[in-house]
Amino acid sequence: MAKQENVRNINSFSEHEANIGDEGFFLWDDRELSDELSDTKVKSPGIDKPMLVLTIVILLIGLIMVLSASFARGSYTSSEPLRLFFRQFTFAITGIVLMLVVSRINSRVFSRFSMQILLISIILLVLVPIIGIRANGARRWIGLGGENGMLTFQPSEIAKLALILAFSQMACVLKEDRMKTFKFGVLPFAIITVIMVGLLRLQPHMSAMIIIMALAAVMMFAGGTQLRWFLLVIAMLAAMICGLIFFQLRSSDANISLSDMSVDTIRATADFSALGYEGRRINAWMNPDDDPLRGGFQIRQSLNAVGSGGLLGLGLGQSRQKYLYLPEEHNDYIFAIVSEELGFIGAMLVLMLFALMIVRGYWLAIHASDKFGTLVIIGITSLLALQVFLNIAVVTNLLPATGISLPFFSYGGTALWLQLIQIGIILAISREIPPPTKEKTR
Amino acid sequence: MSGGIRVGSGKGAGGRPRTISGEKSRKRKNEQRLSKGLLVRTLFLLTVCGIVAFVILAARLYDIQIVNNSYYESRTLSGQLRETSIKASRGTIYDRNNRILAMSGPVENIFISPLEMSLTDQDSRFVAEGLSYILGVDFSSIMERIGRTSSQYQVIKHRAPSHETERVRDFISEYKLKGIHFEPATMRYYPNDSLASQILGFVGTDNSGLDGIERRLDSHLTGVDGRIIRLTNAKGTELMLAGFGDYYEAQHGNNIILTADLSIQYYIEKHLAQAIIDYDILGGAICIAMDPRTGEILAIANYPTFDPNNFLRLSDFEMERLSHIEDEDEFDEAFRNAQFRQWRNRAISDSYEPGSVFKLITFAMALEENAANMDTVFHCYGSIDVRLYDDVSSRNCWRRWGHGEMTFSTAFQNSCNVACVEMGLRITAPKFYKYIEAFGFFSSTGLDSAAEGRSLWWDRNVFLDRNNQTQLASASFGQTFRITPIQMITAAAATVNGGYLMQPYLVKQITDGDGNIIEANEPTVVRQVLSNETSALVRSIMEGVVTDGTGKNAGIRGYRIGGKTGTSENIEQLAIRAEDDNSNKDYITSFIGFAPADNPEIMILLLLDTPSHDTGIYISGGTMAAPVVGKMLADILPMSLGIMPQYTDEDIVDINIHVPRVTGRNVESAKELLENQGFRYRVIGNAELVTGQIPAPNAFVASGSEIIIYAGEDVPREQVEVPHLSGLNYVQARDALAGRGLFIRTTGATKSDSKAQVSVQSIAAGREVQFGSVVEVTLIDADAVERRTN
Repeated sequence: MAKQENVRNINSFSEHEANIGDEGFFLWDDRELSDELSDTKVKSPGIDKPMLVLTIVILLIGLIMVLSASFARGSYTSSEPLRLFFRQFTFAITGIVLMLVVSRINSRVFSRFSMQILLISIILLVLVPIIGIRANGARRWIGLGGENGMLTFQPSEIAKLALILAFSQMACVLKEDRMKTFKFGVLPFAIITVIMVGLLRLQPHMSAMIIIMALAAVMMFAGGTQLRWFLLVIAMLAAMICGLIFFQLRSSDANISLSDMSVDTIRATADFSALGYEGRRINAWMNPDDDPLRGGFQIRQSLNAVGSGGLLGLGLGQSRQKYLYLPEEHNDYIFAIVSEELGFIGAMLVLMLFALMIVRGYWLAIHASDKFGTLVIIGITSLLALQVFLNIAVVTNLLPATGISLPFFSYGGTALWLQLIQIGIILAISREIPPPTKEKTR
Repeated sequence: MSGGIRVGSGKGAGGRPRTISGEKSRKRKNEQRLSKGLLVRTLFLLTVCGIVAFVILAARLYDIQIVNNSYYESRTLSGQLRETSIKASRGTIYDRNNRILAMSGPVENIFISPLEMSLTDQDSRFVAEGLSYILGVDFSSIMERIGRTSSQYQVIKHRAPSHETERVRDFISEYKLKGIHFEPATMRYYPNDSLASQILGFVGTDNSGLDGIERRLDSHLTGVDGRIIRLTNAKGTELMLAGFGDYYEAQHGNNIILTADLSIQYYIEKHLAQAIIDYDILGGAICIAMDPRTGEILAIANYPTFDPNNFLRLSDFEMERLSHIEDEDEFDEAFRNAQFRQWRNRAISDSYEPGSVFKLITFAMALEENAANMDTVFHCYGSIDVRLYDDVSSRNCWRRWGHGEMTFSTAFQNSCNVACVEMGLRITAPKFYKYIEAFGFFSSTGLDSAAEGRSLWWDRNVFLDRNNQTQLASASFGQTFRITPIQMITAAAATVNGGYLMQPYLVKQITDGDGNIIEANEPTVVRQVLSNETSALVRSIMEGVVTDGTGKNAGIRGYRIGGKTGTSENIEQLAIRAEDDNSNKDYITSFIGFAPADNPEIMILLLLDTPSHDTGIYISGGTMAAPVVGKMLADILPMSLGIMPQYTDEDIVDINIHVPRVTGRNVESAKELLENQGFRYRVIGNAELVTGQIPAPNAFVASGSEIIIYAGEDVPREQVEVPHLSGLNYVQARDALAGRGLFIRTTGATKSDSKAQVSVQSIAAGREVQFGSVVEVTLIDADAVERRTN
């Protein structure tokens, strides 16, 4: 049965491609057109409507929250308190256009140019430490255009997408049997990942490093790399963390015997400040009240905002923590304002929308018409899930601060563009999903 | 095809010709669209990323937002609510005529937040230097405070005046400094400086009363600070949400209206300060003025005194006394002791042996108990024997050779000890003791001011011992017990006001900020101790003391004054001289005076503690305390109480008169004017018009002085030296002054009194003064002394 189906598919594709001709492929997926031409009776369902609707709903809520969150600080620090909102709004509109444009690209384009995109993104990453814009002690941005109205973007954002596309392509090329070997299933992926992470370390860009690594793991996992390698890495990480905690406890003044070890004693006595910047963030995460005005300031203010939201929230626009208390309130910590203004109910609604989007993403991945599409959607969806989880986990102090923004919510134009382009790619792949009815009739 | 846009066709294929079969093969790779393994792994990711992650986040949010909502809410509000304190203004203290004695004005405290400063990169040395320069605060102490980086509140300067806070604000804005803040405070001002300082007390840096009325009525004066609670942004600058917040109005402190009279206080302190210099008083001085009819305290003055605006400082006079101490520790201790001494309201808190002033109580008792009457005749042979168990003990009169035969009133005028002892014996010990109690000497007077000192008396059983009359004998002339000055004057007031022991009080009214009376004190009769008749007799014998007795030097022309002198040994010897040096004992000279004698409106008790033996003036109440009280009354009666003198013809020759302006007049009319006013005159020059005069118009000189009229001649402008006048009689002194072109004015004893002689002069001998100046001399009747009992 399956074989037959495949054969039929080949036929239909070959017909389709025959129509297109030898010259190559269309950038624009005009399959509907070609379907008509090929006399097929069944119409393609087109782009996935639930995904599109969820994206637009989340984006709208995000825009409203950017307006609410940025207005307070804007009214104190600039003469145009609405400037940030308008900027974000412009990016959202152009981003939606970009998304729709991308959604019409034939998915084969992504697979065809995946390695080139990877190469470009690595070149950009190499350029960042050289021509990047310095801010807060790191170079993460590259600027385009003149001094004013400069369009800036983070090459790391592009790198994430490039990694998804490239790994998907590689997994497809290598097929399942070779993916199971170390030589093909681990080494090339690891090399690319190490190069990217190494380049990001130069910026430095901790959050991008974490995401790239996690994303690489997800892609390899989906691509078919054997589980034992993951188990090995997980075991190594666990050993490292335990070793670190043990080392810290031994070196700290409190002489704690092993029998006294508990989460609380580790919390109370551990001091990771020797690890530098990240170590201090870990300290602030474990004991935010120790240093409420410096290290723990942001997380305390964030928890204050989330906690004072209660069940129903203070009401849209009624946040108090946004009045210069909570830093980055329109950016990495925008979800704290969402929780404060909309309460547990509102926060759950936002979480639910994201969850639906992610589940829908995996659903689309399962139904994608080819393995490349499946892997790309898995990558993009996982990236979205990772970012949402890491961001909200930081806002609620489940994890130490990393600096990961909340997709579709956090202020940032080019990042929003890229998120929408990624959704556009999902939509483009979703377009190629054969309609289930068609399956049945065949 | 037609609608499609072709990109990279052919070229896009590059050197790698793409064939249908090639495409097909790629497609074929993807044929197994979703292997089982990929499906499982995708579903795993879906579960982890799409469900588990969100369940974790939801649980965490539930924990924060629902379970711990109230914790975070209160923690957040505590950061967002700004409480601004509205300082309650400390109440004003007024005298009885609503003249301000103490008031509060708004100022600001300047404080820093070292914690906040430590979070910035500003140069703390620079900040400290700036603040030190502007505020005059020690640089190193500011640096030390900046170093306390865990603190958020370190006061750099309390109650900085506005010109300083303005400069600090400029400093902050110019260099964009962080961590320097202001808080409203109030500053206590005492517009009259040291006047009435021991009554008022003072306040500490936190504006709480530390002494005097300020401390006693602190709860009334303080008020309740108001608060504004509002939601603000993180900078605390702006009202964030209208309608959210609370406002509690400040309740300003209550105002206190004292019974004290600022002008009486002024005259008393003025003459007290002069007496300290004139008689070289070593141990300080105490003076209380009371309205004997009501018990209202009109003034309380103690010397040394202080300025409550700067209560830690010693007066220059006191500092000079300490200047000889070279050892630093010793100096510090002496300095501290001097501080405590100047703050102490000794009139209320210290006890002393009253001596002869107390005799008026004995005489009053005797009259009331009919132990004696105005016709009783006493005999004084210099001493009297009283029973001491199986023996007798002798009590001497100050006049060793005795007063001889005396009437009741002359015995009082002479302050005869023997007569007192005799009266005491006639009164008998139990009744004497009962009267002591009735006059309030055993208990505190109930004055609503500072903590009162306690009196010290013989135990009842000892005092009533029939076989030992020495206590009774000594007590009858004011010795072997200690009482406080306020007890003395309260009891003395009862003897002249009709016999009523009044409860003295200092606070007349307490009003709130709007002027509503919260508390009002009315005169309180504790009990009637004497009959009206007895009281009238006591008044008359006390008037006799001033007219004919030891109190002569307190007399003022034109007024009827009553009083009693006292000289007692200061048991707490100042450690100035050797203990066995009997000739130079320490004494407290005192005088109690009241006026007008027929209807007393004011009573003054003055104690001069330990006059120096170096002045050459005989140390006794009659020679030192009496003339000072006389001078006080001479000012207070007309100026403060509006009681004008009523001169008899006899008085006219004795009084001082203001010199009229004659300059510009015709010489003849000038002569006539001067003559009419009781002056003599001398004309220098021959012009028709008076071109100058000495003394200057309105100068206050003795009647009968010779005014020099210049008609055409210039008034000499030279400086002349003031001659030494002490010990001279009036005429000698007047002539000595006139010889140098100076004039005389007298106080104290009458100048017609042949025994009157100069004791002190207002301008020290040897000083250079302008030609034509007036020198005031205090005349004392050399005989008007009660000799010191030895």
